[in-house]
Amino acid sequence: MQEDLDRIEDFEAKETKHSLPIGWLVLFWGLIIWGVYYLYAYTPAFSGWSQEKAYEESIKVGDKK
Amino acid sequence: MQINLYKKPVLFAIVSAVVILIGTIATMFIPMLTPQMHPKLENLKPYTPLELMGRDVYMKEGCHYCHTQTVRPLKTEVMRYGEYSKAGEFAYDHPFLWGSKRTGPDLARIGGKYPDAWHYGHFEDPQKFFPESNMPKYGWLKNNPINPSEAEASVKALGFPYTKADIEKLKGKNELDAIVAYIQVLGVAVAKKPSDKPKSDMTQNPLIGNKEAIAIGKKLYDTNCAACHGADGRGGIGPSVVDNVWLNKEGEVGDGFIYAIIAEGTSTGKEIEGRIAKGGMPPYASQFDENKIWAIMAYMNSLKK
Amino acid sequence: MSTDYQFDNQTVNGFIVSSIFWGVVGIVIGLWISIQMWAPSWNIPPYFTFGRLRVVHTNGLAFGLGLGAIFGIFYYITMRLTKRPLMFPKLARFHLYLFNIAIALAALSLFAGMNQSLEYAELEWPLDIVVVIMWVIFAIVIFGTIIKRREEQMYISLWYIIVTVVAVAILYIVNNLAIPATLTKSYHLFAGVNSANVQWWYGHNAVGFVFTTPILAMFYYFLPKSTGIPIYSHRLSIISFWSLVFAYLWTGAHHLVYTPLPDWIQTLGIVFTMFLIAPSWGSVVNGYYTVASDWSKMRTNYLTKFFILGITFYGLQTIQGPTQGLRIVSQLIHYTDWIPGHVHMGTMGWVTMTAAAAIYYVVPKIYNTTIYSEKIANIHFWFVLVGQLIFSITMWITGIQQGALWKATNPDGSLAYTFMEGLVKNYPYWQLRTLGGIIFTVGMLFFIYNIYMTMKKGKTLSHEKA
Repeated sequence: MQEDLDRIEDFEAKETKHSLPIGWLVLFWGLIIWGVYYLYAYTPAFSGWSQEKAYEESIKVGDKK
Repeated sequence: MQINLYKKPVLFAIVSAVVILIGTIATMFIPMLTPQMHPKLENLKPYTPLELMGRDVYMKEGCHYCHTQTVRPLKTEVMRYGEYSKAGEFAYDHPFLWGSKRTGPDLARIGGKYPDAWHYGHFEDPQKFFPESNMPKYGWLKNNPINPSEAEASVKALGFPYTKADIEKLKGKNELDAIVAYIQVLGVAVAKKPSDKPKSDMTQNPLIGNKEAIAIGKKLYDTNCAACHGADGRGGIGPSVVDNVWLNKEGEVGDGFIYAIIAEGTSTGKEIEGRIAKGGMPPYASQFDENKIWAIMAYMNSLKK
Repeated sequence: MSTDYQFDNQTVNGFIVSSIFWGVVGIVIGLWISIQMWAPSWNIPPYFTFGRLRVVHTNGLAFGLGLGAIFGIFYYITMRLTKRPLMFPKLARFHLYLFNIAIALAALSLFAGMNQSLEYAELEWPLDIVVVIMWVIFAIVIFGTIIKRREEQMYISLWYIIVTVVAVAILYIVNNLAIPATLTKSYHLFAGVNSANVQWWYGHNAVGFVFTTPILAMFYYFLPKSTGIPIYSHRLSIISFWSLVFAYLWTGAHHLVYTPLPDWIQTLGIVFTMFLIAPSWGSVVNGYYTVASDWSKMRTNYLTKFFILGITFYGLQTIQGPTQGLRIVSQLIHYTDWIPGHVHMGTMGWVTMTAAAAIYYVVPKIYNTTIYSEKIANIHFWFVLVGQLIFSITMWITGIQQGALWKATNPDGSLAYTFMEGLVKNYPYWQLRTLGGIIFTVGMLFFIYNIYMTMKKGKTLSHEKA
């Protein structure tokens, strides 16, 4: 049995080979920027936030009601 | 440079491995070398051979697929299950059994909440306790004896302390005994905190004789209390609630006294108005508001006649 | 250009048939446990209780159906992209036998309750050794073939294949380090918080390198092959590949949000999980733009819709998952039915859809024939699509409802619902989920019938002698 071999040129478009859609780039960099913010906001060593403290806060709020 | 990489499979594999290892080292290997990943509460005890065998049964039967063992530091979660889980509670857990799904309730604080008899009864027939429960029956575990030599191999492998007598004691024990023993030590290294607001401002039940309240109370009693105290209130796993013996001592008590038992539960050795509790009654204050507790008591009162 | 040598089609075929067989086992057990969720009398101790069956379901489908299809199709793709037969064809054949023995022993041992209790790493230590040997054999065949290739350039699919082989090896070995007590019982080498961290580093990346990278390898190969349209952007493929591979390994801790795991590890896990949306959508966008040059393929080529719907669910999945990891969302939905809901959209919508389309492509090729019936393939498509959507949507609803009931409080601050009151509200949704599962299963039966008839129709299977 014979089978046609794959040609790698058939797999990759020529004209758009280097295109990066703008919307996707916005998503990519946006997520990195958001990540830096979130990392800062929720890391105890940076912002002082911790899940224990957040819990203590949440029960204090409850008491005031 | 880039082009070369996609023409050199070995180099490509090495580069991929390095890329994979960066996140692995940062979030897994480095923390593993620091003490923050190996905390231990001072009063945490290694599992006894029987408890460890119970833990093995828990793993074997896949209990962790439906029950979690970690209480998150979130307000309603702490109200429902008890104090949130601490890192130092799990030092002897090979592996951790925190689970990923709560088809059934969390078990991190189940130890000591109910008496052994409750667990034996509940494993035997969960639907007798909660008619709409989807938990499988596990009474058949009592047909499987514990193998003392396997137990010894296990405690040895983990380096837990044990005596010959501990192993000797396993003879005649079965898997149901073991899993109940395990369940009863879950979460006990962290002291129970009294629930938020167990007290009522009233000392007299305001709903006594109130027909509507008695109907509500009956519904709550049947689904939450009857399994232990009997549908007629005459007792079973727990004591009768229609006689005048309270905490093993005869003599009438006030409504506030009974309210406190329902709201706060009893722990072994706890003293209320000169009476000593044997323990086993779980607290209901986070599940039932004041009206519901009074309604249950109004129903209990109606059973006396 | 054509060639006078023959590819090792019998091994590929063997893996595909085995994969379908284990798939049937896994799906039947899946239906069974879905019924146990609302009808506990369907538990038959000791071997057929939920706790024993669930693990046979997950392992049977992830490793039996999933890995079986992956091995077979990886061999198929690798031979084509390297333009040569497999190196060590006998070793590849042994791999096929060993795979089936391993899965059979895995199923039996899990029924018997031998369970390390680490999700997706449940097999006890003697079987772990078998799995590692099997993986080494697989790696030798794949790397041998790639190194001795007759096409200098390695196409994207080969990158994903290589990274799968490397990553799974590292993950599997580390997480399965255990202290053996007896032949059938061992204990995780790691304890407590550390054990949790190692397990979910493994657990999430098992998803990454079994349910994501191998399926992307198939997607990037079969989409251009079946449509005749080349992949839109090579640069997008490159960036997506490396950022996916880099970010995945940081994300395991999103399974442990609000547990005693140190906050900083949780936060890193969440951040990298969110970032994963970018590389995932890189592949989604690349797929869309590829087919966008000729959308009529959706109608004229029956496989295109499998790939496009598959990649769409991959896209939805990679938004859903990271969102669930965020602390604010995790608070509400962690431990609820939305978690299995999420997993099943990925496995039923993305993995099975794409792998089935790849099998539709491969089987006629190796049997030197055409597909038995495109019409049945279309019926299969609609059944699995509808079945999966019913499954996923009911799980979303009941998951959010569960989370809300657990959090609900009365005006005086006490909890509004007991656990049991919350549980019973799941039952109607769990029944609907079983219905979704049945519809999906019917779809899969159409698929199996179609494949079987294609094989029957095909001429003699070309043998492996090169």
